[in-house]
Amino acid sequence: MSQGPKTQRLTVLMALPPPDPQFVLRGTSAPVHTLHFSCGGPEPDIPLLFSGSENGFIHVWNLKTHRVDTALDGHGRKSVYCVETMGGKDRLLSQGRDQRICLWDLAEGRTSVTDSVFTEHMGFCRCSLLKVAQGRWLMAMAARSLEEVQILELPSKTSVCTLKPEVGAKLGMPMCLKLWQLSCGSQPVLLAGYEDGSVVLWNVSMGKALSQLSCHQEPVMSLDFDSEKAKGISGSSEKVLSIWCLNEQQNLQVYKTHELVNAGISDITIRPDKKILATAGWDHRIRIFSWKKLKPLAVLDYHTATVHCVSFSDHSSPWDRLLAAGSKDQRISVWSIYAQT
Amino acid sequence: MAVFDTPQAAFGALRPVCVQLTRAQTVENVRQLQAHLAGVSGAALQELQEYVLFPLRFALRVPGPKQERLVQSLVQCISSVLAATCVKKQELLQELFSELCTCLAPPPSSVKAAPLSEELKLAVIQALHTLMHSAYGDVILSLYRPSSLPLLGFAVSLLLTLAEQEKAKQIKISALECLQVLVLQCDCQEHRQLDEDEEQQCGDLFASFLPGISITLSRVIAGDIKQGHKPTVSAIRLFYLIVGLVMADKQLARIPKSKEKLPVEHSRISELMIHRGSDWTKSTAEKLSLLLHKVVESSSVHPHWKVRLELVELVHHLLRNCSQSLVDSFSHLLKAVVGLVNDENSEVQSRCNKVLQGIAEQRIVAQNRALADVLSENLHSLATALPRLMNSQDDMGKVSTLSLLLGYLKLLGPKINIVLNSVSHLQRLSKALVQVLELDVTDVKIVEARRSEPPGPLQQGVQKGRCQKKYFRFFTEEKVFQLLQQVCRVLGYYGNLYLLVDHFMGLYSESGLYRKQAAMILNELVMGAAGVGVDFLQEREVPLNVDDLKGSITSILDEYMDQANWYLVTSVDTEESSPEQSEQHLGLAVRAGGASSSILLQSSEPPVTTRTMNSNIWQICIQLEGVGCFAAVLGKEFRLLLLSALYPVLEKAGDRTLLISETALGTLADICEACGYDSVQCLINENSDYLVNSISLNLRQLAYQPRASQVLDTMLRNSDASLLPLIEDVIQDVLSALDQSYNSQASTFLRVLHSVMTALVQWFGMPSAEEHQQRHSDKGQSRARSQGQHKVTMTSQEVEQFFLDYVSQKRIAEGDLPDLEEEEADEIPLAKPEPSSDTEGEAPMPSHAQLARDVMERCIHLLSDGSLRVRLKVLDVLELCVTMLHPHGNHLLPMAHRVWPALVTRLISDDPLAVLRAFKVLCTLAQTCGDFLRQRFSKDVLSKLTSSLLSQAPASARAGPVYSHTLAFKLQLALLQGLGSLCERLDMGESDLNKVADACLIYLSAKQPVKLQEAAQRLCQVDQSLFEKLSVLAPVLL
Repeated sequence: MSQGPKTQRLTVLMALPPPDPQFVLRGTSAPVHTLHFSCGGPEPDIPLLFSGSENGFIHVWNLKTHRVDTALDGHGRKSVYCVETMGGKDRLLSQGRDQRICLWDLAEGRTSVTDSVFTEHMGFCRCSLLKVAQGRWLMAMAARSLEEVQILELPSKTSVCTLKPEVGAKLGMPMCLKLWQLSCGSQPVLLAGYEDGSVVLWNVSMGKALSQLSCHQEPVMSLDFDSEKAKGISGSSEKVLSIWCLNEQQNLQVYKTHELVNAGISDITIRPDKKILATAGWDHRIRIFSWKKLKPLAVLDYHTATVHCVSFSDHSSPWDRLLAAGSKDQRISVWSIYAQT
Repeated sequence: MAVFDTPQAAFGALRPVCVQLTRAQTVENVRQLQAHLAGVSGAALQELQEYVLFPLRFALRVPGPKQERLVQSLVQCISSVLAATCVKKQELLQELFSELCTCLAPPPSSVKAAPLSEELKLAVIQALHTLMHSAYGDVILSLYRPSSLPLLGFAVSLLLTLAEQEKAKQIKISALECLQVLVLQCDCQEHRQLDEDEEQQCGDLFASFLPGISITLSRVIAGDIKQGHKPTVSAIRLFYLIVGLVMADKQLARIPKSKEKLPVEHSRISELMIHRGSDWTKSTAEKLSLLLHKVVESSSVHPHWKVRLELVELVHHLLRNCSQSLVDSFSHLLKAVVGLVNDENSEVQSRCNKVLQGIAEQRIVAQNRALADVLSENLHSLATALPRLMNSQDDMGKVSTLSLLLGYLKLLGPKINIVLNSVSHLQRLSKALVQVLELDVTDVKIVEARRSEPPGPLQQGVQKGRCQKKYFRFFTEEKVFQLLQQVCRVLGYYGNLYLLVDHFMGLYSESGLYRKQAAMILNELVMGAAGVGVDFLQEREVPLNVDDLKGSITSILDEYMDQANWYLVTSVDTEESSPEQSEQHLGLAVRAGGASSSILLQSSEPPVTTRTMNSNIWQICIQLEGVGCFAAVLGKEFRLLLLSALYPVLEKAGDRTLLISETALGTLADICEACGYDSVQCLINENSDYLVNSISLNLRQLAYQPRASQVLDTMLRNSDASLLPLIEDVIQDVLSALDQSYNSQASTFLRVLHSVMTALVQWFGMPSAEEHQQRHSDKGQSRARSQGQHKVTMTSQEVEQFFLDYVSQKRIAEGDLPDLEEEEADEIPLAKPEPSSDTEGEAPMPSHAQLARDVMERCIHLLSDGSLRVRLKVLDVLELCVTMLHPHGNHLLPMAHRVWPALVTRLISDDPLAVLRAFKVLCTLAQTCGDFLRQRFSKDVLSKLTSSLLSQAPASARAGPVYSHTLAFKLQLALLQGLGSLCERLDMGESDLNKVADACLIYLSAKQPVKLQEAAQRLCQVDQSLFEKLSVLAPVLL
């Protein structure tokens, strides 16, 4: 598919017919809840897309043939709502509604669960993964007791700390997590969105809340954070996107809000190059905004049901980069969107 | 005669005759000697050789004029002695040689005698020939010392004169053969192989004769054809042997810089000797080049094949021995041999091929830069002249020109890239090819030939994709095309694929005029690059890189399937796309194609001409053929490309233009074969995910819908129920898109829905429909049975049952619904097949039935569309939906309820065509919804239908034979045929049946068309059975 007209379409929004997905992946036979690309490998490696769906399967899509290479079944047919790779495409982490987080070994065609963590958490909160050293990861996940977040080190599974809100804070359950660090070796920090609509910044090593900001009236559905600009964005079931920033005193402040046409955001992702971001809407639409000014760039209208997740690919060449969205209509749409220069 | 084995005995026998001969030199005596010689064994004669030769030689030497006959017999006798013996002494050889030569020489100029007789000349030549063969190896070399140069020269000039000037064929041939022996190039194997030095010496020596020999021989070769082919053949052979010897690269390389000093006593001879230095070589090569040119020109068109064969040998020999010294002549020589590749004589052909192969295998060209330059120069000049030649020559001329071109390319082999790297070479070559390959696009039939509808399943009639026969503007001969194909393939085989593909892609997008040809060439290039069907002389140096090939193919495919190149106007059919649509599409295509987009596509262009459409059709076909080629070349690797390539091809398989759809089917077959699918169905089934993806994306673009629906249609027709889960969401997309645009796109969508429903009925509907039919016929049978029994005796049970049925139905018909549950159970047996239906609404409906319901819902809205065509289509779809929903009565009934008002309008106040179809729908609906329909039918529709039958009756009674083709007739017929079973199914009441009967009675009239009469009769029969029942039972029991 030629890419020329597409840029045009993005710039001259709405004047031209709406853009089409580059291709659509069918065959999960269940709503798709999470997507994760693994395309960064050198040439002979086949670019892959992992999808987790409501029927408990993780599908490994070959992006050359657009077909499922393997279907992983490890969550007892319970919905899979988070899939991440650890390092290369051979190690996979998945989280399902069976309250388990599984670690997979996919090297050389294997499809075995090497280890698993029993979260005992009943909610939908996706875990967050942060690589702290070669072969060592920190993972933040919602824990058994309602308001707590637990930090584990992987692969050893040793608990680093448990983040408990102050008594009486009434934050509710954690809804979304984002573990990050300013630079390699610096203190890991956790951003957590809670049921009451507030976002809390946690110092992981001290186990202490640094700052709290009430962004939404409704539970925070998703958030993403740009550590370079010290700016983050969150979405909830409301008609509003909230952008907040972190000042030098490690305080969260509202930066601005953006009014949406239709309510309900189920996922927000900032592209790795921090130029644009994509939202997955309950209105069946994917929206693309510029990250700098939050200027709406495009509305990608293809799905016929709620869009559950959006994910940007990690292709090494910017021209190959893709955006994928998974929806309740059981389809995964893949779009070609690249930097406008 | 006694044989004398010992020398003594032989001497005894020969002595008297020798003495006799010495005394009197008469023919008789010579004959006697000869007679005696026959009785002497070889060994004995060897001893007596000189003794026997003496009288003979003496006789020759006797001064004064001699009788020619005597000389002749003497020479013949000498010849027979020499044939049986060996000459072992140098002096004897030299003397005999000079004596024999003298015999040939014309008598001293003072006496002008009659020329020698031919017999004598022949005898002398043969004697010389024998002499040369009888001399021992070392002995004969004594003749080839510088000191013998004059003698040799004398002999050579004598023989040359004979060869040139004699009329007698035999003498010419003998003279030439003798010369051949004389230059030590005899064909027979008896001679001792010379070593390098000896050869070198001889070469030095013969260099002196080269000018004379070559000039004379070239004259002989170019001489009168009447001389026959043999002298020419011999002359050619001699020519190349001597040139090959004197100009041999090997010898020339060893020539010292300065001339060797000979001893003083040979100073005169030394002047005659030639030093084969570089200057001499150069000038001689130049002169020889002229001669060779002459030789090639005359002999390459010689009528006798042996001459042409010998010419091939000449090239072969010279190329092997003198590829450096004679490099300038090779442009002629190679041209000759390359041109002879397509000789009419198979032997010449095969030899030519072998020679060329030999040249290639020995890498003569590859190792010889100069030769490669010569070839590429030839190629360049040929390419320059090619367009002109192609315009002016006839087909035969074209064949020879093209075989020449092909030959050059083959010979260049891996060196082709030298030519291709030069922009001007490549440009000329490609321009020439493109011009020659121009298609003839005037044939109107191509545009007119449409696919017959409806297209059958794909696998029928799909054979392996053969290229469509193309018609070219500049030639008709198939051979020309084959040559052009080979030219392209050889280019692809040796050439740099990236460079070539890039260049021809440039031409492809440069102008619409070149596009078809460039595509044709690209297809062949790829085939050639993969080594498919290439006729090459030597393997390429670098083996094929599959990734490169794949890269090239991918980029070509992208270009072919670009909207601007794939979606061309091929018909002015308004059914396929409404004008505004196609305009929209054109606009889009132009935008997508950017500046390079075809001029043919500009929407500002006046209406497309037939010629343009023909051209477009061909372009699509060529591109389709290309896809087939690419698949064949890549094999299973092509599976990856199916993602983007399958959909467009399938789209074309459904094209209305016959040629395109046929070609596309061939391409599909090619793809199947290449990718290892058993059938097209298999191909479609296994790649339905790719297709669904393309279809769903294309359906989003309104402009492309006609095509996407075609593919969906094709896919549905070639797939099975397993496809349903994949396409479900696509169909839902279609429906929701339809909801957005009822007005503008309805007819397009309806086509999609129609194919979907047809497929669903085929996959899921059939069994139940059959079942249904079965049930019905069972019912009918039982009814018939009961009837029959009624006629005899009706069991009381049956009577009771019938009555109960009758009563309950009557009550229902009157709108009195006593007990719903019970009634459902009784009356709608077909709702039963769902065993789990504890409560109807909650039973999960299979997805195909759900789809049918969804589609039906849309039909309700569209039934009253303004366009008749849309309404007709809707009725068709509706019928399919009803069929589909038969097993799901609980869902069908509410839908039927909603459909009814609109359907009634169609039945009573619409175009006859619509009435006809609506009536069909009604009949189908009646199969399940009998009770539901009964009252409505009788209230809303029946009277209208019967009255229309009544009102039409007079018209049809009056009508002539043409009437049976009118719509009114068809409507009458359908009504008469359908009303019967309809009434039966609906169990219509008495008054309604009366109406029907009334309407039908008129049609029993003999004035009505026969068909209507028959239908009416049948209707009466059905009615009768009902009447009977009613009239018998009802009054009695009620």
